[in-house]
Parts: sequence; C-alpha cells; structure tokens
Amino acid sequence: MDADPVAEDVTGAQPVGVAIVDDHPVVIDGVRAWLAGEPGLRVLATGDDPDVVLRAAPDAEVVLLDLRLHGRMVLDKLAELSAAGRRVVVYSEHTDPETMLAALDAGAVAFLAKHEGREHCVATVLAAANDRPYVPPALAGALVGDPRPDRPALSDKEREALLLWFQSMSKASVARRMRISEHTVKQYVDRARIKYTRAGRPAATKAALLARAIEDGLVRPEDIGIYRSQASADRPTP
Amino acid sequence: MSTESGTAGTGTATRPAVRQRRPERADPGAAATAAHAVSDASDRGARIVAVVIALAWHLAIGLPALLGAWSRLAAPPVVAAGWLVTAAIGGAAGVRLLGGGLPPARRLAAALLVVDGTVFAAAGERQLFTTANWVWGGLAWFFLVVLWRRPLGWLLALLGAHAAIALAAVVLHDATAPADLSRYAMYVYGTSSLPVAVFAGAAAIAALARDRAGTAAAALVVAAERDAAERARRDRQARLALVSGTAKEVLAALAAGDADPADPAVRHRALLAAARLRRLIAESDDVPDPLLHELRAAADLAERNGLPIALVALGAPPELPVEVRRRLADPPTAALAGARGWARLTVVAGPDEVVVSLVTPDHDGPDATGPPGGHGDGPVEHLHERDGEIRWTQTRWRRT
Repeated sequence: MDADPVAEDVTGAQPVGVAIVDDHPVVIDGVRAWLAGEPGLRVLATGDDPDVVLRAAPDAEVVLLDLRLHGRMVLDKLAELSAAGRRVVVYSEHTDPETMLAALDAGAVAFLAKHEGREHCVATVLAAANDRPYVPPALAGALVGDPRPDRPALSDKEREALLLWFQSMSKASVARRMRISEHTVKQYVDRARIKYTRAGRPAATKAALLARAIEDGLVRPEDIGIYRSQASADRPTP
Repeated sequence: MSTESGTAGTGTATRPAVRQRRPERADPGAAATAAHAVSDASDRGARIVAVVIALAWHLAIGLPALLGAWSRLAAPPVVAAGWLVTAAIGGAAGVRLLGGGLPPARRLAAALLVVDGTVFAAAGERQLFTTANWVWGGLAWFFLVVLWRRPLGWLLALLGAHAAIALAAVVLHDATAPADLSRYAMYVYGTSSLPVAVFAGAAAIAALARDRAGTAAAALVVAAERDAAERARRDRQARLALVSGTAKEVLAALAAGDADPADPAVRHRALLAAARLRRLIAESDDVPDPLLHELRAAADLAERNGLPIALVALGAPPELPVEVRRRLADPPTAALAGARGWARLTVVAGPDEVVVSLVTPDHDGPDATGPPGGHGDGPVEHLHERDGEIRWTQTRWRRT
C-alpha cells in the first residue's frame, strides 16, 4: 500500500485546515488521530452537522464528509458544498461503485472508503487541498468498472493502470507489471480521474481540479473535449 | 456456504472485504424460446386439422363427384388432371406442415389459381354449379394449407382471386340470370367463410398460446430468481449468526480483560472477525453467478483456515463456457492455497472481459501455482509473478 507524497506544496507553508463531519464520534477521533501525525494538516472543527461544522471553521480547506449522516445519504448536501467551492472528500463505508460514481458526479474531490487506511486518508486530504486528484484503490475499481454508457472514454493504458492499481493496491507492482515508472502509473490513474470532472453536473470543485490538472500538464484541454476558449483564460495551458 | 470460527494465524494486515454485484441474469431469450415451443405445439394440432379437412374433402367429396359426372364434363381429363395436381400440392404442403415447416406459399398459391381457372373452364357450363366442379368448394381448404401461418390478408386475397375466377367463368358460360348470380354469391360466401374462420382462429390461438407461455416462462424466471435470492439470504443469515458469534467472543474477551489487545493472536482474531463481517455485510449477491460462486467458495475455505481475505467483485460476468470459467478460477484458487498473511481477490467483469486477480504478500515458500501458464491458454490469459513485495496471480478472459 503506497500513498504518493504530494505534500511538497504544503511543507513549510501554513498547514491545511480540515473539517471532519461524521455522526460517529469514534470515527472522528480515529481520523483526527491519523491526521494528527501529519504536520501539514490541522483539524479545525468536527461534528455531525456540515452546516454547524463549517460555521465553526469557515476557513477549512478540505471537508471530510461521511456520506451517511443519521441514516440519510447526504448526496444533496455534498452537491451543495461542492457547488459552493468546498473541497469535499467523501469518506464512507458505502463502497458500491454506483455510490462512488454518484459522489464524484455530485462534485466530491475524492472518495475514500472507510476501510482504506491512514496513508490513503492523509494522501487524499493533502491532494484535495491542492486541487489535485487522488484515487484510492476502491475508487479505481469503480472507475474501471463503470458500466454507464456515457462514461468518460479512457485510454487503454489508463484503464489498465486503474485495473492493476485496484487489484494490487501497490503502484510499485503496477509499474513493474506495465514496465513504466511509478510516476507514470500515477499519471495514468490521475488522468482517468480528471476525465470524470466532465461527468455529472458542473461544480466549482470539478473546475478547480480540471484547471489544476491542465496547469500541471496532466491533461491537455483537447484530451477531454474542452476547447481552449472554455478553459479558464488566465491559466496558461502547456 | 458458511464460515466457522477462525483460528489464529500469523497475519499482520488485512484488506477490505467488499462484494458488489447487480443482479441481471433474467434470461428473456430462454423465455422467448420456451414460449415459441409452446405455441408451436398448440399450432401443430391446428395444422393436422387443416391438412385432414383439405385432403378428406378432396377424396371423399371431390373425387366421387368428379367420377360420377365424368361423362357430363366438358373436358373430363383436364378436370381430373387438375384434381391430381391439387392432391399432389396438398400432399406436399401437408407433409411440410406436419414436419414443422411452412410450404412455399407464393408458388403453390399460384399453381392452385392456375388449376382453379383451368378446372372452371374445363368443367363446362352444365357442371358449373355442381360438386363435380370440385374447385368451388374444395380448393379453399388447400389455400388454407399452403398459406398456413401467413398473414390473413394473403388468404383473403387468394379467396378474392378465386371468387374473381369463378365470376369470370359464370359470365363467360353466360350463366348471368339472377338465380345464377345469387347462387354464385352463396357459393363464394359458403366456401370462403369456414376456411377464413379456421385460419383466423388458428392464428389467434397460436398467438394466445405464445403469450401465455411467455408469461409463464417470465413468471418462472422471476420465481427462480426469488428462490435463489431467498437461498442466498438464508445462507447469509446463517453465516452472519456464526460470524457475529466469533466477533462477540473476541469483543467479550477484550471487554472482560481476558484477551490482551497487544497479543498478536488476539489481534488476528479480531481482524479475521472484522474482515468476515465486512464481507458479509457488503455482499449483495442476489443471483448466483457460477464464477463468483466458485471464487467465493475458495475464499470461504481460505478464511476458515485463518486467512483474512477480501473478495471484491465489480460488474456481472457474462455467461461463460465451463472451460473458460475453470481457466479463470483455477489459478487464483490454487494460489490461494499457498497464501500467507492476507489475500485480496478481485473480479472485474464486463460483457467482453473478465479479469480475476489474487494478490498476497510474497514469502519464501514455493509457488502454489507453479510457473505462469503464459499466453497459450486460448481466450484466457494467465499471469503469475512475485516481486518480493507481492505474489500476483491474474487470469483474464477477453471475448474474441
């Protein structure tokens, strides 16, 4: 299980503020303990109501949101927060592909299954804070198995990288199998994820992910069917 | 399928256990085939009736009348030849119908019309309205036989042509007195209505039977799925009872202070119980798929031997030949026997591709599967490798 360190932008800078929304105190305590070990992260507020938590921590850069609060799926709340530009990392035990894809469609920056461990959690939050994608294995499975006819078109390499990452949960092993570098594996996986920013309704968070991916040179606008005029004008495309 | 309480092993890590699958195995094709078989069976009775009526009429009524009026016919050999040709057509079409096929409707209908016109001409004026002019009453039944299962409109058209030929004969033989014309109308009505009724009735009954059989087959599919779902539910409940028992034991021991959370054996027990519970809760397999069933059985076995195992299935595998299924399932199942620590078994299935993968930590022991099978396995590719970190067995089927 290897989580790619993406903390280069935050080390030395202000720690990333995180809000945790979950209706189980034991989960909040557990996640808080995980994140406490990471100097680049600071938990600002926790609770079981997203509105209350975000009122307490309006500056939180990343929201870890349990998708099921008090017995109700809060996809609508997720969409509302994402539309408002909140970077929401969904954190859920509901790991059926439909739910994961629906969360991405609603604008979640990332989807983390509750059984995926600390490394994935920290890496996901750090990536989210920088508008960068992070695809844990469970989400890779949902993407590669997406049966919807209007799913984004992935290249063979992107599909293969997602599949092998889902199977092995080791990017080093995927790299050996595909005879490419780990960095390239991550690029394929992330590129597949970025293509999903075009699925579902538009959200500020999706636009931010896409813009950052273009800025990083991960994708070109024409790769995912965006004309130059639609890309944000003030960001140079590589 | 049930798991019993686990034994402590040496594992130190676990992997998530999730099962996902949508049921989608109702087979409308099979139901349609069954419906077809039933409608064919009910149609067979009607075919026999039609063929028997046509030939019996031809033999029992047409032939005696023809022979009886032989000397009074204008051209007896021509009328007799027409009778023979019609008998041959009826015999051939009958054999075809009773064999389950359909006769070549257009060609036979055209031949019958030629016979129709010829016999009307050869019967002569005096025998026009007698039974010796056997085409009047008998030919319509042959129309029925050669046009079996064709649209009703074809039969009506053929009967229309038959009526037109008869009218032409009536006019040409100068039998245009009001009494003759009304006789003509009576004959046309009398000889057409019964065949039309039989034809339409048979078609309606066949359609009805097909509908009913279709409904029955669909109901059977639903019932079978319900049974399977019920069985899966009972299995799951039985496993849940066993697994929660194991979990309760561990929790109780921890709560009572009898078990030390720092003890690796205790941790392994907790881990195993959690992995089982998670797998069970996430399992949503309402319709059994043979490939997943085999893999799940292998996973259950490994779990019973104390190996924490995750089984994640995405998508529904298509119908696969037994040989393909065996090549997909055998290598990972064999590898599972040599697994230590933990195992992650995944299935990603689509209509054209199924990939099964088993990943376990690498160890010094020998490979349970032997060397990789390579690419020579037909449509199933088998890869096995170990890189010091993991052992990875992958089988992949692609539709060719």
